[in-house]
Amino acid sequence: MSNSLSALMSATFYEGGYEHHVEIIHQRGAEARRRLDSLEVTLYDREGAILGSPRVDPTQDVLDLRALVRETTPSAERVMVVFDARYAEAIFPYRPHHYAYLHREGSSAAPLYYAINAVLGGVPDRVGATNINNFETYVFRRGPFEQRYSLLLGCLARFVPVQAQVFTYYGRRRLAQEITLAPKSHTEIRLASEHEGERLARVEVKALFRLLSYVVGRRADTDDLVLFDHLFTYAK
Amino acid sequence: MRPSTYYLPWITRPGLECALVLSNVEARFRPEWSAGSFPMHVVQYDAEGTAAHRYDVTLESCTDAVELPLRPAAGGCGFAVVSGERLHSDLYVTLSDGHSYTATHGRGEFVEGYPPLARLVLTVAGTMAAMVGRTLPVFTRNQYVYLGRDSRSHVLLMNLSNVTNRIRVTAHAGGRRPGARVLHLPPMGSHLLDVASLGPAPAAGTAVWHLHLEGNAWFNLYLVGAGSRDLAGPLSLMHVK
Repeated sequence: MSNSLSALMSATFYEGGYEHHVEIIHQRGAEARRRLDSLEVTLYDREGAILGSPRVDPTQDVLDLRALVRETTPSAERVMVVFDARYAEAIFPYRPHHYAYLHREGSSAAPLYYAINAVLGGVPDRVGATNINNFETYVFRRGPFEQRYSLLLGCLARFVPVQAQVFTYYGRRRLAQEITLAPKSHTEIRLASEHEGERLARVEVKALFRLLSYVVGRRADTDDLVLFDHLFTYAK
Repeated sequence: MRPSTYYLPWITRPGLECALVLSNVEARFRPEWSAGSFPMHVVQYDAEGTAAHRYDVTLESCTDAVELPLRPAAGGCGFAVVSGERLHSDLYVTLSDGHSYTATHGRGEFVEGYPPLARLVLTVAGTMAAMVGRTLPVFTRNQYVYLGRDSRSHVLLMNLSNVTNRIRVTAHAGGRRPGARVLHLPPMGSHLLDVASLGPAPAAGTAVWHLHLEGNAWFNLYLVGAGSRDLAGPLSLMHVK
Protein backbone atom coordinates (compact mmCIF):
# COMPACT_ATOMS: atom_id res chain seq x y z
CA MET A 1 0.00 0.00 0.00
CA SER A 2 1.24 3.45 -0.89
CA ASN A 3 2.03 5.89 1.91
CA SER A 4 0.47 8.78 -0.04
CA LEU A 5 -3.12 7.65 0.04
CA SER A 6 -6.06 9.88 0.77
CA ALA A 7 -8.68 9.03 3.32
CA LEU A 8 -12.44 9.17 3.41
CA MET A 9 -14.53 8.44 6.46
CA SER A 10 -18.24 8.12 5.86
CA ALA A 11 -21.04 6.56 7.82
CA THR A 12 -24.66 5.50 7.78
CA PHE A 13 -27.23 3.75 9.93
CA TYR A 14 -28.60 0.26 9.52
CA GLU A 15 -32.06 -0.61 10.78
CA GLY A 16 -33.35 -4.16 10.94
CA GLY A 17 -35.82 -5.27 8.31
CA TYR A 18 -34.28 -3.21 5.55
CA GLU A 19 -32.51 -4.41 2.46
CA HIS A 20 -29.51 -2.11 2.36
CA HIS A 21 -26.92 -2.18 -0.41
CA VAL A 22 -23.87 0.07 -0.19
CA GLU A 23 -21.98 0.89 -3.36
CA ILE A 24 -18.32 0.78 -2.39
CA ILE A 25 -17.49 2.85 -5.44
CA HIS A 26 -20.21 4.86 -7.07
CA GLN A 27 -20.15 4.92 -10.87
CA ARG A 28 -17.39 2.41 -11.29
CA GLY A 29 -16.21 2.31 -14.87
CA ALA A 30 -14.90 -0.68 -16.68
CA GLU A 31 -11.40 0.21 -15.55
CA ALA A 32 -10.42 -2.21 -12.81
CA ARG A 33 -8.11 0.42 -11.36
CA ARG A 34 -11.03 2.37 -9.94
CA ARG A 35 -10.93 0.52 -6.66
CA LEU A 36 -10.31 1.48 -3.08
CA ASP A 37 -6.97 0.50 -1.62
CA SER A 38 -8.56 -0.51 1.64
CA LEU A 39 -11.85 -0.35 3.46
CA GLU A 40 -12.46 -0.87 7.16
CA VAL A 41 -16.00 -1.17 8.43
CA THR A 42 -16.91 -0.76 12.10
CA LEU A 43 -20.33 -1.14 13.72
CA TYR A 44 -21.33 0.83 16.82
CA ASP A 45 -24.30 0.56 19.13
CA ARG A 46 -26.26 3.52 20.46
CA GLU A 47 -23.83 4.11 23.34
CA GLY A 48 -20.79 4.03 21.11
CA ALA A 49 -19.60 0.53 21.92
CA ILE A 50 -18.05 -1.44 19.09
CA LEU A 51 -20.25 -4.29 17.93
CA GLY A 52 -17.72 -5.60 15.47
CA SER A 53 -15.27 -4.82 12.70
CA PRO A 54 -16.06 -7.34 9.99
CA ARG A 55 -13.55 -7.82 7.22
CA VAL A 56 -14.77 -6.65 3.84
CA ASP A 57 -13.32 -6.95 0.38
CA PRO A 58 -12.54 -3.39 -0.83
CA THR A 59 -12.58 -4.51 -4.44
CA GLN A 60 -16.20 -5.58 -4.50
CA ASP A 61 -18.82 -3.42 -6.19
CA VAL A 62 -21.71 -3.45 -3.76
CA LEU A 63 -21.76 -4.43 -0.11
CA ASP A 64 -24.82 -6.19 1.32
CA LEU A 65 -25.04 -4.26 4.57
CA ARG A 66 -27.95 -6.29 5.92
CA ALA A 67 -25.98 -9.51 5.61
CA LEU A 68 -22.87 -7.91 7.08
CA VAL A 69 -24.70 -6.61 10.15
CA ARG A 70 -26.56 -9.89 10.68
CA GLU A 71 -23.30 -11.82 10.55
CA THR A 72 -21.63 -9.43 12.99
CA THR A 73 -24.14 -8.77 15.71
CA PRO A 74 -27.37 -10.26 17.01
CA SER A 75 -28.50 -6.78 18.06
CA ALA A 76 -31.83 -5.73 16.62
CA GLU A 77 -31.26 -2.07 17.45
CA ARG A 78 -30.13 0.60 15.04
CA VAL A 79 -26.45 0.33 14.24
CA MET A 80 -24.06 3.08 13.14
CA VAL A 81 -21.83 1.79 10.36
CA VAL A 82 -18.56 3.63 9.74
CA PHE A 83 -16.61 3.20 6.51
CA ASP A 84 -12.94 4.17 6.64
CA ALA A 85 -11.59 4.09 3.10
CA ARG A 86 -8.15 4.72 1.65
CA TYR A 87 -7.81 5.61 -1.98
CA ALA A 88 -5.33 7.03 -4.46
CA GLU A 89 -5.94 10.65 -5.36
CA ALA A 90 -4.83 9.98 -8.93
CA ILE A 91 -7.72 7.55 -9.35
CA PHE A 92 -10.39 9.62 -7.63
CA PRO A 93 -9.62 13.29 -8.33
CA TYR A 94 -12.45 14.49 -6.08
CA ARG A 95 -13.20 11.55 -3.81
CA PRO A 96 -14.95 8.23 -4.07
CA HIS A 97 -18.61 8.23 -3.17
CA HIS A 98 -20.51 5.58 -1.34
CA TYR A 99 -24.16 5.52 -2.40
CA ALA A 100 -26.75 3.16 -1.02
CA TYR A 101 -30.08 1.55 -1.87
CA LEU A 102 -32.59 1.06 0.90
CA HIS A 103 -35.88 -0.81 0.93
CA ARG A 104 -37.91 -2.37 3.71
CA GLU A 105 -38.63 -6.03 3.21
CA GLY A 106 -42.24 -6.65 2.17
CA SER A 107 -43.08 -2.97 2.03
CA SER A 108 -44.99 -1.42 -0.86
CA ALA A 109 -43.12 1.85 -0.31
CA ALA A 110 -40.64 3.04 -2.87
CA PRO A 111 -37.00 2.21 -2.24
CA LEU A 112 -34.68 5.09 -1.39
CA TYR A 113 -31.28 5.81 -2.85
CA TYR A 114 -28.99 8.14 -1.01
CA ALA A 115 -25.46 9.47 -0.71
CA ILE A 116 -23.72 8.22 2.38
CA ASN A 117 -22.56 11.04 4.65
CA ALA A 118 -18.91 11.97 4.38
CA VAL A 119 -17.93 12.85 7.93
CA LEU A 120 -14.37 13.84 7.19
CA GLY A 121 -12.02 12.14 9.61
CA GLY A 122 -9.48 12.19 6.86
CA VAL A 123 -8.29 15.16 4.91
CA PRO A 124 -10.83 17.99 4.71
CA ASP A 125 -9.24 19.72 1.74
CA ARG A 126 -9.85 16.58 -0.29
CA VAL A 127 -13.60 16.72 0.15
CA GLY A 128 -14.08 20.31 -0.93
CA ALA A 129 -14.94 21.50 2.55
CA THR A 130 -12.07 23.59 3.83
CA ASN A 131 -14.35 26.37 5.09
CA ILE A 132 -17.00 24.17 6.55
CA ASN A 133 -18.79 25.52 9.58
CA ASN A 134 -20.77 22.44 10.49
CA PHE A 135 -24.06 24.14 9.87
CA GLU A 136 -26.73 22.11 8.11
CA THR A 137 -30.30 22.79 7.10
CA TYR A 138 -33.24 21.02 5.47
CA VAL A 139 -36.69 22.18 4.34
CA PHE A 140 -39.89 20.16 4.62
CA ARG A 141 -43.18 20.17 2.77
CA ARG A 142 -45.88 21.69 4.92
CA GLY A 143 -48.89 19.69 3.86
CA PRO A 144 -50.65 17.54 6.46
CA PHE A 145 -48.77 14.41 5.48
CA GLU A 146 -49.15 11.31 7.57
CA GLN A 147 -45.45 10.96 8.27
CA ARG A 148 -43.11 11.53 11.17
CA TYR A 149 -39.81 13.33 10.97
CA SER A 150 -36.58 12.94 12.85
CA LEU A 151 -32.85 13.43 12.66
CA LEU A 152 -30.42 10.59 12.98
CA LEU A 153 -27.21 11.94 14.44
CA GLY A 154 -23.95 10.18 15.13
CA CYS A 155 -20.69 11.34 16.66
CA LEU A 156 -17.49 10.28 14.96
CA ALA A 157 -15.22 12.06 17.45
CA ARG A 158 -12.60 9.84 19.04
CA PHE A 159 -12.03 11.34 22.45
CA VAL A 160 -14.46 14.09 23.42
CA PRO A 161 -18.22 14.47 23.47
CA VAL A 162 -19.76 16.80 20.92
CA GLN A 163 -22.45 19.33 21.67
CA ALA A 164 -24.94 20.23 19.00
CA GLN A 165 -27.97 22.46 18.68
CA VAL A 166 -31.05 21.48 16.72
CA PHE A 167 -33.42 24.26 15.67
CA THR A 168 -36.86 23.61 14.24
CA TYR A 169 -39.01 26.28 12.61
CA TYR A 170 -42.81 26.47 12.69
CA GLY A 171 -44.15 29.63 11.09
CA ARG A 172 -42.38 32.41 12.98
CA ARG A 173 -41.57 30.19 15.96
CA ARG A 174 -38.15 28.70 16.44
CA LEU A 175 -37.63 25.87 18.89
CA ALA A 176 -34.19 24.88 20.09
CA GLN A 177 -32.80 21.81 21.77
CA GLU A 178 -29.27 20.98 22.76
CA ILE A 179 -27.80 17.52 22.69
CA THR A 180 -24.49 16.01 23.69
CA LEU A 181 -23.16 12.94 21.97
CA ALA A 182 -20.39 10.81 23.41
CA PRO A 183 -17.71 9.53 21.03
CA LYS A 184 -19.16 7.03 18.56
CA SER A 185 -22.63 7.26 20.07
CA HIS A 186 -25.74 8.00 18.04
CA THR A 187 -29.32 9.01 18.58
CA GLU A 188 -32.61 9.78 16.89
CA ILE A 189 -34.04 13.27 17.51
CA ARG A 190 -37.79 13.43 16.94
CA LEU A 191 -39.06 16.52 15.15
CA ALA A 192 -42.69 17.36 15.82
CA SER A 193 -44.64 17.72 12.57
CA GLU A 194 -46.67 20.55 14.04
CA HIS A 195 -46.35 23.15 16.80
CA GLU A 196 -49.12 25.54 17.88
CA GLY A 197 -50.98 24.97 14.63
CA GLU A 198 -47.97 25.57 12.40
CA ARG A 199 -46.35 22.85 10.34
CA LEU A 200 -42.67 22.03 10.52
CA ALA A 201 -40.95 24.18 7.90
CA ARG A 202 -37.27 23.45 8.33
CA VAL A 203 -34.57 22.19 10.65
CA GLU A 204 -31.03 23.36 11.31
CA VAL A 205 -28.17 21.58 13.04
CA LYS A 206 -25.13 23.38 14.44
CA ALA A 207 -22.16 21.61 15.96
CA LEU A 208 -18.51 22.31 16.61
CA PHE A 209 -17.51 19.00 15.09
CA ARG A 210 -19.02 17.55 11.97
CA LEU A 211 -21.68 15.02 12.91
CA LEU A 212 -23.07 12.16 10.96
CA SER A 213 -26.54 13.43 10.09
CA TYR A 214 -29.53 12.24 8.13
CA VAL A 215 -33.01 13.66 7.95
CA VAL A 216 -35.59 10.92 8.17
CA GLY A 217 -39.29 10.64 7.35
CA ARG A 218 -41.42 7.62 8.22
CA ARG A 219 -44.97 6.84 7.20
CA ALA A 220 -47.17 7.15 10.26
CA ASP A 221 -49.18 4.00 9.52
CA THR A 222 -46.43 1.58 8.52
CA ASP A 223 -43.25 3.22 9.86
CA ASP A 224 -41.67 2.74 6.41
CA LEU A 225 -38.83 5.13 5.64
CA VAL A 226 -39.85 7.63 2.97
CA LEU A 227 -37.05 10.15 3.57
CA PHE A 228 -33.46 9.27 4.29
CA ASP A 229 -31.27 12.05 3.06
CA HIS A 230 -28.36 14.24 3.96
CA LEU A 231 -29.02 17.78 5.11
CA PHE A 232 -27.72 20.70 3.10
CA THR A 233 -24.39 21.99 4.37
CA TYR A 234 -24.20 25.72 4.01
CA ALA A 235 -20.74 27.19 3.69
CA LYS A 236 -19.83 30.60 2.30
CA MET B 1 -22.01 27.31 -24.76
CA ARG B 2 -22.62 26.00 -21.30
CA PRO B 3 -24.96 28.41 -19.50
CA SER B 4 -25.36 27.67 -15.81
CA THR B 5 -28.64 25.90 -15.22
CA TYR B 6 -30.38 24.65 -12.12
CA TYR B 7 -32.70 21.78 -12.94
CA LEU B 8 -34.83 19.21 -11.16
CA PRO B 9 -36.42 16.07 -12.54
CA TRP B 10 -40.16 15.60 -12.51
CA ILE B 11 -42.45 12.63 -12.94
CA THR B 12 -46.25 12.47 -12.77
CA ARG B 13 -48.57 9.52 -12.62
CA PRO B 14 -52.27 9.18 -11.73
CA GLY B 15 -52.50 9.57 -7.97
CA LEU B 16 -48.96 10.88 -7.68
CA GLU B 17 -48.31 14.58 -7.15
CA CYS B 18 -44.98 16.10 -8.11
CA ALA B 19 -44.17 19.39 -6.43
CA LEU B 20 -41.07 21.53 -6.18
CA VAL B 21 -39.99 23.17 -2.93
CA LEU B 22 -38.39 26.47 -3.83
CA SER B 23 -36.36 28.70 -1.53
CA ASN B 24 -33.24 30.81 -1.69
CA VAL B 25 -30.63 29.61 0.76
CA GLU B 26 -28.13 32.28 -0.27
CA ALA B 27 -30.60 35.04 0.60
CA ARG B 28 -31.40 33.32 3.86
CA PHE B 29 -27.84 33.22 5.10
CA ARG B 30 -26.21 36.26 3.50
CA PRO B 31 -27.39 39.53 5.09
CA GLU B 32 -26.37 41.59 2.06
CA TRP B 33 -28.79 39.61 -0.12
CA SER B 34 -31.62 39.08 2.32
CA ALA B 35 -33.79 42.16 1.68
CA GLY B 36 -36.89 42.23 -0.49
CA SER B 37 -38.76 39.54 -2.34
CA PHE B 38 -37.28 36.97 -4.69
CA PRO B 39 -38.89 36.23 -8.05
CA MET B 40 -38.21 32.86 -9.64
CA HIS B 41 -39.13 31.44 -13.01
CA VAL B 42 -39.68 27.76 -13.73
CA VAL B 43 -39.82 26.12 -17.16
CA GLN B 44 -41.10 22.55 -17.21
CA TYR B 45 -39.81 20.55 -20.17
CA ASP B 46 -41.73 17.45 -21.16
CA ALA B 47 -40.29 14.18 -22.40
CA GLU B 48 -40.17 15.52 -25.96
CA GLY B 49 -38.16 18.54 -24.86
CA THR B 50 -41.02 20.99 -25.30
CA ALA B 51 -41.38 23.79 -22.76
CA ALA B 52 -44.79 22.52 -21.70
CA HIS B 53 -45.47 24.78 -18.73
CA ARG B 54 -44.06 27.97 -17.28
CA TYR B 55 -44.50 29.23 -13.73
CA ASP B 56 -43.68 32.50 -12.02
CA VAL B 57 -43.12 32.25 -8.30
CA THR B 58 -42.15 34.88 -5.74
CA LEU B 59 -40.59 34.24 -2.38
CA GLU B 60 -41.97 36.96 -0.14
CA SER B 61 -38.97 36.91 2.19
CA CYS B 62 -35.54 35.37 2.47
CA THR B 63 -36.88 32.59 4.71
CA ASP B 64 -39.87 31.80 2.53
CA ALA B 65 -40.26 28.38 0.91
CA VAL B 66 -42.87 27.93 -1.81
CA GLU B 67 -44.35 24.60 -2.87
CA LEU B 68 -45.04 24.48 -6.58
CA PRO B 69 -47.14 21.54 -7.85
CA LEU B 70 -46.17 20.67 -11.41
CA ARG B 71 -48.81 19.92 -14.02
CA PRO B 72 -48.83 16.72 -16.07
CA ALA B 73 -47.15 16.99 -19.47
CA ALA B 74 -46.34 14.77 -22.44
CA GLY B 75 -44.49 11.62 -21.57
CA GLY B 76 -45.15 11.93 -17.84
CA CYS B 77 -41.56 12.88 -17.06
CA GLY B 78 -38.88 15.41 -17.81
CA PHE B 79 -37.04 18.14 -16.01
CA ALA B 80 -37.76 21.66 -14.84
CA VAL B 81 -35.30 24.54 -15.06
CA VAL B 82 -35.44 27.12 -12.27
CA SER B 83 -33.96 30.57 -12.67
CA GLY B 84 -33.62 33.45 -10.25
CA GLU B 85 -30.99 35.47 -8.40
CA ARG B 86 -28.28 33.35 -6.79
CA LEU B 87 -30.02 30.01 -7.10
CA HIS B 88 -27.30 27.42 -6.87
CA SER B 89 -28.56 24.75 -4.51
CA ASP B 90 -31.07 23.49 -1.98
CA LEU B 91 -34.16 23.24 -4.19
CA TYR B 92 -36.17 20.05 -3.86
CA VAL B 93 -38.53 17.93 -5.90
CA THR B 94 -41.08 15.80 -4.08
CA LEU B 95 -43.40 12.96 -5.04
CA SER B 96 -46.50 12.35 -2.97
CA ASP B 97 -49.31 9.83 -2.94
CA GLY B 98 -51.27 12.13 -0.63
CA HIS B 99 -50.23 10.30 2.52
CA SER B 100 -46.49 10.83 2.54
CA TYR B 101 -43.81 12.19 0.26
CA THR B 102 -40.33 11.39 -0.93
CA ALA B 103 -37.83 14.07 -1.89
CA THR B 104 -34.51 14.74 -3.50
CA HIS B 105 -32.65 17.84 -4.57
CA GLY B 106 -31.90 19.30 -7.96
CA ARG B 107 -28.59 20.02 -9.59
CA GLY B 108 -26.79 23.22 -10.44
CA GLU B 109 -25.03 22.36 -13.68
CA PHE B 110 -25.41 23.60 -17.25
CA VAL B 111 -27.19 22.96 -20.52
CA GLU B 112 -24.95 22.46 -23.48
CA GLY B 113 -25.68 24.56 -26.57
CA TYR B 114 -24.01 23.42 -29.79
CA PRO B 115 -23.64 25.80 -32.76
CA PRO B 116 -25.40 24.89 -36.06
CA LEU B 117 -22.38 23.26 -37.72
CA ALA B 118 -21.67 21.05 -34.72
CA ARG B 119 -25.34 20.05 -34.59
CA LEU B 120 -25.20 19.02 -38.23
CA VAL B 121 -22.05 16.94 -37.72
CA LEU B 122 -23.52 15.26 -34.64
CA THR B 123 -26.76 14.51 -36.50
CA VAL B 124 -25.02 12.87 -39.46
CA ALA B 125 -22.43 10.97 -37.45
CA GLY B 126 -24.95 9.99 -34.80
CA THR B 127 -27.41 8.64 -37.36
CA MET B 128 -24.71 6.48 -38.95
CA ALA B 129 -23.53 5.17 -35.59
CA ALA B 130 -27.10 4.38 -34.53
CA MET B 131 -27.57 2.23 -37.63
CA VAL B 132 -25.10 -0.24 -36.14
CA GLY B 133 -26.39 0.13 -32.59
CA ARG B 134 -23.76 2.61 -31.48
CA THR B 135 -23.44 6.26 -30.55
CA LEU B 136 -20.67 8.82 -30.38
CA PRO B 137 -19.36 8.31 -26.85
CA VAL B 138 -18.68 11.96 -26.04
CA PHE B 139 -20.03 11.66 -22.48
CA THR B 140 -20.00 8.52 -20.40
CA ARG B 141 -21.65 7.62 -17.13
CA ASN B 142 -21.75 4.50 -15.01
CA GLN B 143 -24.54 3.71 -12.61
CA TYR B 144 -25.71 0.78 -10.55
CA VAL B 145 -29.37 -0.18 -10.79
CA TYR B 146 -31.39 -2.59 -8.69
CA LEU B 147 -34.07 -5.06 -9.75
CA GLY B 148 -36.04 -7.28 -7.44
CA ARG B 149 -39.60 -8.52 -7.19
CA ASP B 150 -40.58 -5.94 -4.54
CA SER B 151 -38.42 -3.00 -5.51
CA ARG B 152 -36.33 -1.63 -8.33
CA SER B 153 -34.63 1.52 -9.55
CA HIS B 154 -35.55 2.83 -12.97
CA VAL B 155 -33.47 5.50 -14.65
CA LEU B 156 -34.72 8.92 -15.73
CA LEU B 157 -32.37 10.11 -18.46
CA MET B 158 -32.30 13.82 -19.29
CA ASN B 159 -30.79 15.29 -22.43
CA LEU B 160 -29.24 18.55 -21.28
CA SER B 161 -28.36 19.82 -24.73
CA ASN B 162 -29.82 21.33 -27.89
CA VAL B 163 -29.05 18.32 -30.08
CA THR B 164 -30.66 14.90 -30.34
CA ASN B 165 -28.81 12.74 -27.86
CA ARG B 166 -28.37 9.10 -28.75
CA ILE B 167 -27.60 7.39 -25.49
CA ARG B 168 -26.38 3.83 -25.59
CA VAL B 169 -27.23 1.90 -22.46
CA THR B 170 -25.47 -1.36 -21.70
CA ALA B 171 -26.30 -3.45 -18.66
CA HIS B 172 -23.79 -5.81 -17.06
CA ALA B 173 -24.41 -8.29 -14.28
CA GLY B 174 -21.33 -10.14 -13.15
CA GLY B 175 -19.89 -11.58 -16.35
CA ARG B 176 -23.22 -11.43 -18.18
CA ARG B 177 -24.65 -8.66 -20.30
CA PRO B 178 -28.44 -8.68 -19.83
CA GLY B 179 -29.14 -6.03 -22.45
CA ALA B 180 -28.09 -3.05 -24.55
CA ARG B 181 -29.98 -0.42 -26.54
CA VAL B 182 -29.69 3.02 -28.05
CA LEU B 183 -32.21 5.62 -26.88
CA HIS B 184 -32.96 8.74 -28.92
CA LEU B 185 -33.66 11.76 -26.71
CA PRO B 186 -34.75 14.96 -28.46
CA PRO B 187 -33.14 18.25 -27.41
CA MET B 188 -34.06 18.94 -23.76
CA GLY B 189 -36.03 15.70 -23.80
CA SER B 190 -36.12 12.87 -21.27
CA HIS B 191 -36.68 9.14 -21.17
CA LEU B 192 -37.74 6.91 -18.32
CA LEU B 193 -35.78 3.70 -18.78
CA ASP B 194 -37.63 0.73 -17.30
CA VAL B 195 -34.89 -1.35 -15.70
CA ALA B 196 -36.99 -4.49 -16.13
CA SER B 197 -36.80 -4.03 -19.89
CA LEU B 198 -33.08 -4.78 -19.74
CA GLY B 199 -33.50 -8.28 -18.41
CA PRO B 200 -35.54 -10.50 -16.11
CA ALA B 201 -35.70 -9.97 -12.37
CA PRO B 202 -34.17 -12.72 -10.22
CA ALA B 203 -36.52 -15.26 -8.65
CA ALA B 204 -35.46 -14.10 -5.20
CA GLY B 205 -33.54 -11.19 -3.77
CA THR B 206 -32.40 -8.11 -5.62
CA ALA B 207 -30.07 -8.10 -8.58
CA VAL B 208 -27.52 -5.31 -8.86
CA TRP B 209 -26.65 -4.38 -12.39
CA HIS B 210 -24.03 -2.06 -13.69
CA LEU B 211 -25.22 0.34 -16.38
CA HIS B 212 -22.77 1.89 -18.77
CA LEU B 213 -24.20 4.90 -20.60
CA GLU B 214 -22.65 6.73 -23.53
CA GLY B 215 -24.14 9.79 -25.18
CA ASN B 216 -23.17 12.12 -28.00
CA ALA B 217 -24.00 15.18 -25.87
CA TRP B 218 -24.28 16.20 -22.23
CA PHE B 219 -26.83 14.24 -20.24
CA ASN B 220 -27.54 13.31 -16.67
CA LEU B 221 -29.76 10.90 -14.79
CA TYR B 222 -31.81 10.39 -11.65
CA LEU B 223 -32.87 7.06 -10.27
CA VAL B 224 -36.61 6.43 -9.88
CA GLY B 225 -37.35 4.08 -7.01
CA ALA B 226 -40.43 1.90 -7.40
CA GLY B 227 -41.93 -0.60 -4.98
CA SER B 228 -44.08 -3.68 -5.44
CA ARG B 229 -46.65 -1.79 -7.57
CA ASP B 230 -43.88 -0.55 -9.82
CA LEU B 231 -44.70 2.71 -11.63
CA ALA B 232 -48.35 2.54 -10.52
CA GLY B 233 -47.39 2.86 -6.85
CA PRO B 234 -45.42 5.31 -4.71
CA LEU B 235 -42.16 6.46 -6.26
CA SER B 236 -39.00 8.19 -5.19
CA LEU B 237 -36.54 10.28 -7.15
CA MET B 238 -32.93 9.91 -6.21
CA HIS B 239 -30.07 12.17 -7.14
CA VAL B 240 -26.64 10.96 -8.15
CA LYS B 241 -23.33 12.72 -8.60
